Amino acid sequence: MVERRFPRHLGSLEPMAQFVSDYVGSRGLDREHSFTVDLLVEELFTNMLKHGRGGGPEVSLGLDGEREEVVLTLRDFDVESFDPTSGPLRPSDGSGGGLGLRLVRRISDSIRYEYVGRSSIITLTKRFPA
Amino acid sequence: MFSIEIQEGGLVKLAGRLDAAQADRAKAALDTVKESATLDLADLDYVSSAGLGILVQTFKRLRDAGLEFRLTNMKPRIRTVFVYAGLDRVLRLD
Repeated sequence: MVERRFPRHLGSLEPMAQFVSDYVGSRGLDREHSFTVDLLVEELFTNMLKHGRGGGPEVSLGLDGEREEVVLTLRDFDVESFDPTSGPLRPSDGSGGGLGLRLVRRISDSIRYEYVGRSSIITLTKRFPA
Repeated sequence: MFSIEIQEGGLVKLAGRLDAAQADRAKAALDTVKESATLDLADLDYVSSAGLGILVQTFKRLRDAGLEFRLTNMKPRIRTVFVYAGLDRVLRLD
């Protein structure tokens, strides 16, 4: 597993994308998969920024997995609880909210939310069958 | 890196990475489009929901003004994002 901390603001999106790309490359996975993982990371991270009240100066992003899967873990420290996995998705025509979580639920294979010691922890698994 | 180039005749070229950090810049540029528009996405490498939202807002603004809005030349992975978001039922994807 690799893990890195990033400042808790939108300027971290490109460094996060590079981190994902490096990881996918190190695993020998198809480079196209970094696009998908990058998208999942952005949607979860921006959701944290939008809904996670409070929050420390950094979040952590962990990447792990075996064979054709990637497991990503995002941790938001010292934050109020917000569970993006609960509740129904609102109908969306793309102009309102909810589009990002719609994408996450459509693309991911599993997603889990935990709230431990004032940290929000999202663990998502994406499989890339050969 | 993200770039947007608005040419005469309503041709708009998007390139690079349209993520949440670039959404405001994309919106500001697209808000200047006042005619039917064709967005050339041949060089767009990445789009997230933030970018999709801006494109849908632009589509609705132009549609409500009686103008057209087309998306062309998108890479398969970009098209997949539109489809997963259900926007293939909202937008014209050429």
